[in-house]
Amino acid sequence: MYEWDFSPVLAQGGFLLAGFRNTLILTATALSGGLVVGLLLALARLSHRRWLSMPAGVVIEVFRTTPPLVQLFWFYFGLPIVLAVEMTPFLAAALTFTIQSGAFFAEIFRAGIVSIEKGQWEAAKAIGMSHSQCMRRIVLPQAVKRMFPSMMERSIELMKTTTLVATVSYADLLFQANELAQKTFRPLEVFTVVALMYFVTISFVSFLAARLERRFARTGEFTT
Amino acid sequence: MTYNWNFHDVFVNWWALAIGVAGTLKLFVVCLVLGMSLGLVIALGRRSQNRPVRWLSTLFVEFFRNTPVLVQILWFYYALPILAPIEISPFMAAILGISLNSAAYSAEIYRGGIQSIEPGQWEAAKAIGMSGLQALRRIILPQAIRRIIPALTNRGVEIFKMSTLASVVAYVELLQQGKLVASLNFNPLEVYTVVAAIFLIILYPIVRLTYAVERHLARSD
Repeated sequence: MYEWDFSPVLAQGGFLLAGFRNTLILTATALSGGLVVGLLLALARLSHRRWLSMPAGVVIEVFRTTPPLVQLFWFYFGLPIVLAVEMTPFLAAALTFTIQSGAFFAEIFRAGIVSIEKGQWEAAKAIGMSHSQCMRRIVLPQAVKRMFPSMMERSIELMKTTTLVATVSYADLLFQANELAQKTFRPLEVFTVVALMYFVTISFVSFLAARLERRFARTGEFTT
Repeated sequence: MTYNWNFHDVFVNWWALAIGVAGTLKLFVVCLVLGMSLGLVIALGRRSQNRPVRWLSTLFVEFFRNTPVLVQILWFYYALPILAPIEISPFMAAILGISLNSAAYSAEIYRGGIQSIEPGQWEAAKAIGMSGLQALRRIILPQAIRRIIPALTNRGVEIFKMSTLASVVAYVELLQQGKLVASLNFNPLEVYTVVAAIFLIILYPIVRLTYAVERHLARSD
């Protein structure tokens, strides 16, 4: 029977926490970038101008149907060759996950915007609003509330996807875990602790999301 | 700024990529079959009358949905062999990680599908003398599965994309072979572009098909 010994792992707790911090930084960067990119892509996709909607559609479909790890390798190893720029693991990861999650967010935004009744557009136009005013003041505020559950789900997916950066040596939680496992010769304990850290964090976020959803549902601003 | 793309060296090594595609397909099929069937078992476990079974299935689903699949694969590859006296190959570790992860996700899809069937269907099946299992197999599941086909297909696409993670434990699949070719010829840009294109060519038709099925089901329901 194997004797579990967590003490070497716990003694290096700060090492793992540093990785956890980097995971959070990367998730926050990609999330804020992804929301902006997603909204822009969705608006472009819904545009009547074909030169806007076509490229947006291509970007969305390409980033949704290719594996994120391939995208990361492309941005990390491939892109610097075309652009002749220095690529850091963080920059490559932030870029990849911003666009990748942006493509998924775009589809959520689009579904939300399309779900708003035509009457809302017509009413806004009737009182003299322009198209962009109507989008900003009337349609988007309502759509965002409806999109909330899918947005949260995607954000949680994003946090899990950030583990892929460990493969290009960005010191996220998983990368630090790998290092620690090799240093302490305790892979079982290290990977178990790290799995639990992810589990607790993500469960906590899901719990918060579920509570917020319920509150929205109670105030009647929100329908699923 | 003007870079000369040269795909020639990639196509010269087409056989290496072909071996990769075969490895990806093999992993995909195994994980698809295992993930989808285990998912159904766990979905039924969550509806069980037996409390421990229900709790265990719920715990399984929550655990595998709330941890990253790459952590799961690495756990099975580096940690499991310490606990159990078995040799874990990269293929095995990838199968365990991806299948169990997909089982947890598809269990939720099955559960949603089964719940969406009106209680009257169960009652009618019981009224004509079917047992719970018979009602499930003959009446409920055929209807539920029809409704969840788009969600299950999406899961299948996700499994296909997830198979690239097996490259982290050096299983020979498309991305792993791409790395090999790129390191031989120092042409990562072309190689990873081709690899991405191969995934796109395989998966895009399936995604389009899902859209079509979704529209069809929405109209017929």
